[in-house]
Parts: sequence; structure tokens; C-alpha cells
Amino acid sequence: MKMSVPDYMQCAEDHQTVLVVVQPFGIVPEDHFFKIYKRIASVSQVSIRDSQRILYIRYRHHYLPENNEWGDFQTHRKVVGLIAITTCTSAKDWPQTAERFHGQKEVYSSTLYDSRCLVFGLQGEIAEQQRTDMAFYPSFDECSDVERRVEDFVESIFIVLESKRLDRATDKSGDKTPLLCVPFEKKDFVGLDTDSRHYKKRCQGRMRKHVGDLCLQAGMLQDALVHYHMAVELLRGVNDHLWLGAALEGLCSASVISHYPGGTGGKLLGRKPSISQTTDAGKRHRPGALTTNGISADTSTEIGRAKNCLSPEDIIEKYKEAISYYGKYKNAGVIELEACVKAVRVLAIQKRAREASEFLQNAVYINLGQLSEEEKIQRYSILSELYELIGFHRKSAFFKRVAAMQCVAPTIPEPGWRACYKLLLETLPGYSLSLDPKDFNKGTHRGWAAVQMRLLHELVYASRRMGNPGLSVRHLSFLLQTMLDFLSDQEKKEVTQSLENYSSKCPGGMEVITLSAELKLPPVPFTKLPIVRSVKLLNLPVSLRPHKVKGLLGQNVSTASPFIYSPIIMHSRGEERCKKIDFQWVQGDVCEVQLMVYNPMPYELRVENMGLLTSGVQFESLPAALSLPAESGLYPVTLVGVPRTAGNITVNGYHTSVFGVTSDCLLEDLPAVKTSGCLVEVIPSLPRLQLATSLPRSAHTPQPMSKEELSSSVSVQLFNGETQQLTITLENIGCEDIETLEVTSKVVNTKEKVFSNFLSWKLEEALSHLPLKPGLTVTLTVSIQVKLDFSGQENLLQDLNDDGISVTGLPICSPLRQVLKPRPETKPISNDSGKLEYSHIKTLEAVLNFKYSGGAGKVDGYYRELSLGVHVDVEPSVFFTRVNTLPATSTRQCHLLLDIFNPTEHELTVSANRSQDLVLHASECQRMAIQVDKFDFESLPQLDQETAHFTNPKQLEEERQHARGCQINSKLQICWSIPSLQRCGEASVEGALNQLVLEHLQLAPLQWDVLVNGKPCDSDLVADCKVGDAVTLEVKLTNLSKNPVGPLALTVMPFQDYQNGVQNYDLDKAVTFIGSETFFIDTVKPKESSTCNGALLFLYMGDYYLNIKFQDDNTRRELPLAWFTLPSVYIRALDTPLQAGA
Amino acid sequence: MAVCIAVIAKENYPLFIRSVPTQNELKFHYTVHTSLDVVEEKISAVGKSLGDQRELYLGLLYPTEDYKVYGYVTNSKVKFVIVVDSSNTSLRDNEIRSMFRKLHNSFTDVMCNPFYNPGDPIQSKAFNGIVSGMMVQTG
Repeated sequence: MKMSVPDYMQCAEDHQTVLVVVQPFGIVPEDHFFKIYKRIASVSQVSIRDSQRILYIRYRHHYLPENNEWGDFQTHRKVVGLIAITTCTSAKDWPQTAERFHGQKEVYSSTLYDSRCLVFGLQGEIAEQQRTDMAFYPSFDECSDVERRVEDFVESIFIVLESKRLDRATDKSGDKTPLLCVPFEKKDFVGLDTDSRHYKKRCQGRMRKHVGDLCLQAGMLQDALVHYHMAVELLRGVNDHLWLGAALEGLCSASVISHYPGGTGGKLLGRKPSISQTTDAGKRHRPGALTTNGISADTSTEIGRAKNCLSPEDIIEKYKEAISYYGKYKNAGVIELEACVKAVRVLAIQKRAREASEFLQNAVYINLGQLSEEEKIQRYSILSELYELIGFHRKSAFFKRVAAMQCVAPTIPEPGWRACYKLLLETLPGYSLSLDPKDFNKGTHRGWAAVQMRLLHELVYASRRMGNPGLSVRHLSFLLQTMLDFLSDQEKKEVTQSLENYSSKCPGGMEVITLSAELKLPPVPFTKLPIVRSVKLLNLPVSLRPHKVKGLLGQNVSTASPFIYSPIIMHSRGEERCKKIDFQWVQGDVCEVQLMVYNPMPYELRVENMGLLTSGVQFESLPAALSLPAESGLYPVTLVGVPRTAGNITVNGYHTSVFGVTSDCLLEDLPAVKTSGCLVEVIPSLPRLQLATSLPRSAHTPQPMSKEELSSSVSVQLFNGETQQLTITLENIGCEDIETLEVTSKVVNTKEKVFSNFLSWKLEEALSHLPLKPGLTVTLTVSIQVKLDFSGQENLLQDLNDDGISVTGLPICSPLRQVLKPRPETKPISNDSGKLEYSHIKTLEAVLNFKYSGGAGKVDGYYRELSLGVHVDVEPSVFFTRVNTLPATSTRQCHLLLDIFNPTEHELTVSANRSQDLVLHASECQRMAIQVDKFDFESLPQLDQETAHFTNPKQLEEERQHARGCQINSKLQICWSIPSLQRCGEASVEGALNQLVLEHLQLAPLQWDVLVNGKPCDSDLVADCKVGDAVTLEVKLTNLSKNPVGPLALTVMPFQDYQNGVQNYDLDKAVTFIGSETFFIDTVKPKESSTCNGALLFLYMGDYYLNIKFQDDNTRRELPLAWFTLPSVYIRALDTPLQAGA
Repeated sequence: MAVCIAVIAKENYPLFIRSVPTQNELKFHYTVHTSLDVVEEKISAVGKSLGDQRELYLGLLYPTEDYKVYGYVTNSKVKFVIVVDSSNTSLRDNEIRSMFRKLHNSFTDVMCNPFYNPGDPIQSKAFNGIVSGMMVQTG
């Protein structure tokens, strides 16, 4: 018969214990039993009175009788004591109870030294009787002297043990030494010659070994060593291998006890070293142990120890030997296994892990025959524990995993998934796997991915079979998150499929799953599904960006630092700055955060409910759902939300829902994510304005501005000089009232000289509607007026200057024109390559800015800006190729000759102020003459002295010229119209003016007025007078120049013009002067005037002219001659009767 | 000859592992993984006694029923593990040593490759070729 159940808890010290079985019978509640059992077991060592020895006791509540049968082989396997625990409520039941107690004793009767029965619940007569083998307690709670009872019991066992020991030890001479044998040997010895020396030696050897065991148990270590040595000698001689092994093992055990008083079994054994040290320190004498002064109390034992005790190395050698002997017997498998375990424990104490692993390796291969599944689990678990003990964590984890798999082996009818799961969790450290995904965030992957993945798969499966899909989801998420790099495409697919499966039953979340007090499963955010590379907070669109009112900003700057600029960035502020972003978000407006994401999966990834995680202000996140194509590469995703309150907002991360698992991914846990700061200020809400225009929108963007800076843009085509009305409708689409509105314009990107106001508007009308409630609109009319100078385009008229007038059908060498109107006879443009790209259409661009504000944001000093781009393509209308003047008859007037060219393809009519329409055909040039009054440019308002000071003379001159041009234009009022297009506009001569023309057009600063008979007389105007009457002639000089003029002398020279080129100055007989023919004018100061009078008498009828001339004087030469031209006077002298007749 | 050859990084994760294709690959993963216990034990034991003059070859790590596991540790704590069939008794210790030396030389070449990131799985064809050579010799 063989021993089948190994005790894996055994250690070398167990050899010195006596085995006591504590068993319940009858009705004993389990918890009460174990309470009592624990109290009994606390009496693990008892020092024996008078002998200075200690008895160690090993308690078992369950012990197989088969194992008991090996008691002769190793006495610590023998049940020597029995403590039975029972309940008995009435005296009536007592006999039956007593009977059963005896029955219990029967089981171990062959080996039992003594027994006790603890009876609970019985009171009265029977309970009062004094019996040594019985103890009566009224209840489980009232049994204070259990420990004392047990001690008494142990002492009684000791007495028996001691007597047996002495009995056997002195039994040398005895008649015949009985042969001790193990159960399976019995049949082998049948019919053996009992008288042979060999047999006798065998008997003696075995008995020696037995005595050694007894000595060891009885606390006589040195005696035991001596006996074991003798047994080894004897048994070696007769090749009794099994028993030789046992003797060697006994020797080892005794040596171990001597070397390692602390024990090799760790706490597993449940011994209490503290008790032995405190209570027994004084009286206890352990052979070989040193006393406090370092000198052994008994020198003889010290010598004996040195002689008999094995050295640590020898212990292992002897263990090896013993095990090799055990190995020869198939039926001694349990003994061999236990010896291995004991040796491993010793080696663990000696820190000889590698040799220990060899013992364990051997233990693995010990075949114990058919083991039950439970035994297998136990065996693998203990192997795992032992590997752990010697520091082989991987091996330990391996066996623990095997044990876990054994729990759910297909042969087991009811698989223990829970136990399997628990064991699997215990293997995690061995595979350097923690279930916290944070451990995987930093650096390279830790541990052996292939086996880790396997373990995770098993955890998932076990938790699923346990009926806990939540756990499965968590483990699968973890697998996917941490092992993504190691999963093949196929595996990725499988894992995600099963994850979706499980999460449909139990959606995964961010809560911590608590498995036990020390093991919690932290949430697994999917930071790799998708992988986020960068997070960037986006500014609001330009039209919605808040701007700070300048004055308030200045204050802030001045308080921050006394320096305008400092290269030294203080660290504290630098840190703050690098986090805070220098734009603002507005409460109530949608804000955007752009993530660059990447899908590492080999298939499309659907991310649902992706939103922002923020703190600081109330934020309404508007989650997005996205679908990322397989291995997408970087993919921009914009997450949006609306801040509901003002303050500083921090974007902490984002949340996703992938495969039914929601994750909160915090940026602080993602060091790989690039971010330019996550803190931004949210300012109080501002109104929003939307803009609509009457003109079509355009895609044109003024060059220096980017597209997004303009909220919209309009475009229109106009002929030069045309005016267009643009109606802008402004609607308040926000939630706040618009309280202020400002409009400004800026002409951008033009090299052209713009005459007149390009954009003009009247804001008062619109302002009267403020404050503008949400949803209401206000309109603003802006007039666009284009006046550009096209006159410089000589290339349009290259032949025009030759003959000047009435050039029709001239070829136009502009590329655009060629496209529009291809002509076969177009001249090659070889010599004019510089102007190849010239387009005669000019563009004008301007930006209209609307600044508005309102609501809480206005209180904080913020406003918004909306800009409208205006793009105008200006086509030339009429322009003046040449301007000339001809003097008119009056000195106050002159003729302006304009060569007007029509560059359009349409028939065009031009009308000036006082003349009739002039019709111009396409590309026709004609001359137009307009009689105009001369201009008094001096009367124009002078520029401010201030501005004049800053601008350079050239600009000043331009400015002046422009003013003159305006004056001329307003006087001329040259209009054009294209009847076919129903377009009309003004034409400006400004560009065509030159200095000479201007001089001609200017009124002289010295104004001469000649009055004949008191009537002003000028040029063509004919003054009538009667023959014989004196005609008064008055010459008036008004000085408008800055300097005094004069004195001057004038001579009046009458003459007659015969209209044939002959002028008769010899009119002494026809005209006579009354008084002097010379007039003198005194010095005339500026702004003053002076007059001189004379008279004439015409003697004959006729037409006379008066030529008033200056008498030559050198001083006057400094003034231009033109100033001194006096009007000629035309007098018609009539006969008196004629007049009477008239 | 060899049934499994593995290169393990200093941090104890595999840089390279190849086994005979006919068998369960995971089994070898477990075999090599658990052998690291012994490797660590051996390194720590040697480190104490000999100091710098360390023998790179660790010898037999542990025998199992079917296989023998041999170990080798470079000075930078990169481990080589060769698993051979237990039935192959003709194999001498010297042959194992030379296999390890060959492996080490080839590994050094891999590390010399400027395009190889230390710590990444080894994908070198030359290295693979050397390993294949060691594995097919059994015939």
C-alpha cells in the first residue's frame, strides 16, 4: 500500500513534532470547531517540566489512515494523539457520544499514545465526574482552560513518548529486534530468513533510525544525531535503500534543526518563535544552542554537535542522496516529493536558488500515479510557491498558470473559473504585468509580450466564464491598449470583435473595478484608438475674435512690468506664459480644438461621442462621431464646444467611445502628444453680426489679407467715373444687443491714384437703430465711386499724338483686347514686351470694417470686427488724351480744349456743363472745347500749416494740384453715358492737367476792371456811346497777390480794326482825350484796390478799340506778364439821332 | 540542432525568437521566458564572485524532459538562449559555445547597423540566416 497524498507543507522541522489529530464528531458547527481548533493549535510547543525539553506538536484536523501506516518509517507521520470535539446536550445522549468517541479512537488505535474528548453543551452529573480523557464545557464560549487541558494532554503524550524512546533505546540486548517496515514492504518479507546476519543488521539499522526519530521528537537532538549516524552505517551495509534514505533524511532534519533554529518553513508552519523565546528562554536548554554569554552550557554537547551535525553543504548532499534512494521505490513517491520540498526550503534559507531549482525540477517529474484534479492543482500551486520562495518568479508564474488551467480542465465536471481567475491574477507579477495602463505609457514595453498576451487572453476568457462581462471588457481593453504593437492584424480584428461583443452586454467605462482590497483594476483609456499626435486650441474665426479696447490694454501692460521690453524672461512667468494661449474664446460661442489623430488599426475605426474634457468654466461639449479609414495617417479632427461661463478654461483631454468602451484620455498621461498650451481665457459674451450685401459675393481677396480675415467680399465692375450704391444689411444673429457700431474703410493694395472718396456712407441712419436687439437688422448704404487716372496710357493711343484728332479704329495692343476682340491685323508687340501683361482694367480694393460691441463683453472692454472686402474692376470710360487752353476774348475766361478718347466698345456720349452732347463711337477720339471761367485757385482753402510742415514739398504740391483738379472738375461737370448699357458717370480731367494748362486757367492775381460809362466792359462785350458825349473810362486794379504792386502808369491807345489785318492807330482826329491819356495808379497793397479815371470823346461814329498798355517800367518785370494783360475795350460810337430813333 | 533560438534584451523582453515551425511556438516562449529566472540567478551569483572577468557562456540553464536550455549573456546584459532537443546527446558543450559565439558575432553586426534602433525587434536578414543555419543542421 502506498501513501498517496503528499503534504506539501512539510519542512525539516516537522521531523521533531508529534502529530495530533483534532476531529469533530456528532453535531459540531464548523465555525465553532475551527475556533476551538485554533485555540488548540496555538499550543504548538510545550516545555516539559523537570527535563528542560520541549515537545513540538503538529495538529491536523484531517489525516488519512494510509499515511498513518507509514508511522514506523518516520515517526512524525504517526498519529499519536487524538482530540475529539463534540457536542452533547443531554445526559441521555451521553452513552452514545462516548461510544462514538471510542469509535474515533479505533481509527488510529494502532499508533495512538493518548486521546482526549472535549464535550460541549453537557451539564450536570456526568459533566461533574473527573475523567482524564474527557473535558466538559457548558458551551463553546465558556471553555477558558482548553489550552491548559491541551498542555496536560501533550505532557501525557510526552511521557508515553519518552517511555517508548527509553524502551527502544535500551532494547539492544533484547531477544530479537523486530523488523520495522513500510506498508508496501510487508509482503516482500514473507518467508525471509530471519536469522541471517543480513536480516539482523537490517532490523537493527531500522530500529536505530526509529530511535533516532523518537529522540528527535522527544527533544534530544544530539542523541538523535548519534542514532541516525549509526543507522546510516548499518543500513548502508545491507543496502536497505529506502530506510537508508530515511536515516539520511533524519540526519538532515536534525542538522537543519540545529543550524536554523528559526525554522525553514516560514510562517506556513504556524510556529510561534516568540513564545519559545520569552517563556522558555530561561529554563529551556536546547542542545547545541548557545547561551547568552556565547559559551555553550554543556561542552560535551558542543563537541558532539561538531562531530555529528552535518555542515550546510553536507545537508544538501545527504538530501540528494536520500532522494536518490527514495527514487528507487515507486511507492515512496510521496516521501521523495516531500523530501524534495523540505530540501528546497532548506536551500531557500541558504539562498542557493539554483540547486533548489534542481530539486524542484526533480519534484516536478516525480510520478505519484493517478492524481485527482484537486491534487494536481495543489501540486502546481505549491511548486509555484516554492519557486517564488527561491526567487524564480517566472517559473512560479508558469506553474501558477498551469494550476489555474488545471482548475478548468475539461475533465472537471464543474470548472472552477473563479479559482482559475484568481490564480491567473496571482501570476501577473511573474510576467511583469500590472493591470494599470499607466505603467505602459512611459518608455518601451516591459516584459515578454507573447506570454503576457496569452495571459490576458486567458484572463478575458476566465472572467467571461465567471459571468462577469465587465471584467472581460476591462481586460480586453487593456489587452488592446497595451499590446497593440504586438497584435497581428488578424488578432486585432478578433480582439476588437470580441470586445464589441462583450461591451454590448456591459459597456466599458472609466470606473475602477475593485476585485479585492489590494487589487483594483484601474480604468483603461484607449489612448491608442485613435492615437492623438497633437492638440491645438483654435482661435475663433477672424470675424468673431474679440479685440480689446486699446486704452484698457495699456494699463495692463504697465502694471505687469516697469519695462517696455526685457530680454529676461522670468521663470515663473515663463511657465505660465507657455501654457496660456494668447487669444480668447467668447462665452456662448462655439470654440474649436483641433486634434491630429491616427488610426493604427488595419480597418476602419469608428469613434463615437468624441468630445473635450475641460475644467475651469462650465463647458458644453458637443461630441463628434468620426470614422477613420484604416491606417489613416494623420487626420485632423475638430472637437467643438461652447463655454457657458467666463473665466480661464483648461482643456485636460478628450473622451471617446470606441467599441462600446468609453475612455477619458487625459493629456497629462500622454507625453507624446504635442500641444501648444491648453489654457485659454474665456471672455464674457459678445453680440454677433451677420452681413449681407446687395452686390454679388466674390472670391477675390485683397492681397495683404488672408481669406479668413474677411467675413465676406463683394465684387463689382465699374467704368471709370461711375458710382454704385452698395446696400449692406447687418443682422444681429447673436444673443446680445449691439450697442455700438463703428465703420471704417481702408483702401488696400493699390498703386493707382484714387481721386475722390472711393467709399462713402452715412452712418447716422444706422446708428439711430442702436441698440440692435437680437434678430433685428439695420441697413447701411455705401456709395462706391471710382475715379482713376487712365490718361497715362499712351500705348492705347500710340498713333494718336501724331494727328491728334478724330482717330478712329486705331489698333489697340492690349492682350486682353486681343482676347476679347481678336483682330487679324493686330500689330506684333515685339518692341513692347514690358507692357505685355498690361491689362487696361484696373482694380481697386478696399476693406470696410465694422466694429461692434455689446453685452457683458463690452463692459470688459472687448469689441468685435467684421470686415467686408470690396473689389472693383475699373474699366476705362472716357479719358482725356490731351488738354489745351486757348485764351478767350475775356481775360476772365478761356477755352479748354479736351481731346476725349472713348476706349470702350460702346458708343458713348459726353456732355459738359454748358455744351451739348458729344457722341463718341467706340475707340474714337474727338476734341471738345469748353469755355470756362478762369479759376481763382488762391481762394482755395490752404492746407493746415501743421500738416504742411510734415509733408514734403512734393506731396504738398500734389495735394494742391488735386485740389485744383477738383475745382476744375466740379466746374466742368463732364459726364459720360453709355446708352446701350445704361451706364453713366463723371469724367475727370485731373490727370490730364499739366502745369501750363493750370497756369492758363488761373485767374491773374492782379485783376483789372475797365468800366466804360460805369459799365464793366470786357472782351466781346460792346459798350455803346454817343458821338460827342464824353465817355468815362475807369480802370480798377484789385491786388489779390501777396505783394504790393505799383505804382503803375497806363496808356490808353485807341485804334480801329478794319478786320483785314490793318489796324489804324492814327485817330487823333476821331478821338480826343478829356484830360490825360495816361493813367497813374499808386502802389496797391495786397487785398486792396485802386481806381483811376479818365474820359474820352468820340467825334465820329465807328467801332473803336481801346488798347490799354503799360508804360515800360523795369520794376514790374518780376511779375509775370500774364498778370498785366488788361481786357481790351470795344466801343461802338453811335450817332445821337440814331439813338433817339432807337 | 537547435529547436529554438532567442535573443532577449537587457530589460528581459524578446528581441528575437525563432523556433522550429512544427511545434507550438508559445511553448518555447514559456520555456525561454522561465529560463530567465535561472539566467538572472546565474548572473547575480557570478557578479558577486568574479567581478568583471565573467564568462559569457552560462552553460546548461536547466534540462526539461524534452529539451536542454543553454544560456549566454553579453556584457551589455543581452541574453541568448538556445534550446536543443534532449535526445540529441551527441552535442558537446564546445559546439554549443561556438554556436553562441557565432550568434554573438552576428548580433554585434546587427547592432553596428546604423539603421537599427537598439531595443527594437531584430529583423536583420543576415542574422536570420545565421539562426536558420543553426536550426537546420540537425537535418
